[in-house]
Amino acid sequence: MEPDAQLVQLCLRGDGPSWEELVRRHTRRVFNLCYRFTGNSSSAEDLSQEVFLRVFRTLPSYQSSQGAFPTWLTSVTRNLLVDHYRRTRRDRITDSIDDAMPQLEERQSPARTPDKLALASELSAQLQRGLARLSPELREAVILRDLQGLDYGEIRTVLQIPEGTVKSRINRGRIELARILEEMGVRPA
Amino acid sequence: MDWNCTLTEERLSDLLDASLLPDEAAAYSAHAVGCARCAKLVAQVGGLVTRMQRSALVEEPPALVGKILDATLGPRKQTRVSPGWSGWLSAIWQPRFAMGLVTAAASLVIVAHALGSAAGKSGMNPVNLVRGANRQAHLTYAHGVKFVNDLRVVYEIQSRLSSQPESFSEPISVPAAKPSLKPEPGQEQQQPSNDPHEKSQTVPHSIRRDARAVVELAVMLPDSFSENWQTGALRRNP
Repeated sequence: MEPDAQLVQLCLRGDGPSWEELVRRHTRRVFNLCYRFTGNSSSAEDLSQEVFLRVFRTLPSYQSSQGAFPTWLTSVTRNLLVDHYRRTRRDRITDSIDDAMPQLEERQSPARTPDKLALASELSAQLQRGLARLSPELREAVILRDLQGLDYGEIRTVLQIPEGTVKSRINRGRIELARILEEMGVRPA
Repeated sequence: MDWNCTLTEERLSDLLDASLLPDEAAAYSAHAVGCARCAKLVAQVGGLVTRMQRSALVEEPPALVGKILDATLGPRKQTRVSPGWSGWLSAIWQPRFAMGLVTAAASLVIVAHALGSAAGKSGMNPVNLVRGANRQAHLTYAHGVKFVNDLRVVYEIQSRLSSQPESFSEPISVPAAKPSLKPEPGQEQQQPSNDPHEKSQTVPHSIRRDARAVVELAVMLPDSFSENWQTGALRRNP
């Protein structure tokens, strides 16, 4: 049995430390998904708390035969993000996306100079702005695939759509994002 | 197999994942040689995917895990670890704290020196110190006893005064008064007498009542208080 499944079993028996371990393992993953999707650190933090609250309440409904725990967790997160997107649709119409858009943190290598770091930071900001201009369906597909690293089968499970549709959305999302970045004057790496 | 630009878009993921079948890959390669648009698209999207996959996970806020645990398991107890001697030493070794200690020590030395010079050698003699402390203790005790006694007297006066109306409600018998001043039928009415006892009967009833209360109270007072009171009275009215 994989570690997550063991932890879930212990949690279901009321073991607090196991729940704490489970939270520590997956907080970053959930936070990143929320952060990429909303583009706002504060919202991502609130949503991450909501996700784990929901997981805490619905953990008995998780069955390992239906898929790995991270996939189930991503499904819960994605459903909550969709709810959040619908709730905040009216607010977004009046908001400027370019304001206070966070920057994607690129992996830092020791050889990077401050100039390169600044350039990477700027590119990350542009990338995040491009993601924000994608439609939610395409955005979530691209994020799950290229930023969360899920395979097509996992994305199919999370989004509850056929694998062909998953690939199609990823394709369209990538092409659309590349076009948006080109309009913004961003060159690919 | 024929390849076109629509197929490039549709199979872009397979293209980038290198999961095309061999004949499909060959058809795309043949198409891309003559189609700058498809070549550019694949290069552009390939670079974008590479960049996104290189992006590291963003670090979550440090307090997020704690908030989640608080929200799900309830507020946790704050475990405070005792710093131990090393912790105390490191705290004392701070420049600000050490400076404060030095200042306080210097102040104490100055005060002690001033006290020592003012008291002199005899003042600092242990025998004198013990005698002084003993005397002070006895004085304090005596003051306390006197205070309690005075309080008792005050309460006694208050209680007596408050209980007088009942005890003096009956007519006061005046020993010096004649048995009957009322004229008998057929007798002349007598002239007012010059006898002081007879005059005393004209004093208001309340004054007589208070005087009698004071006399009764004086009997009950402690000896020391009575003596003091009498002495004071004599001094005021020699």
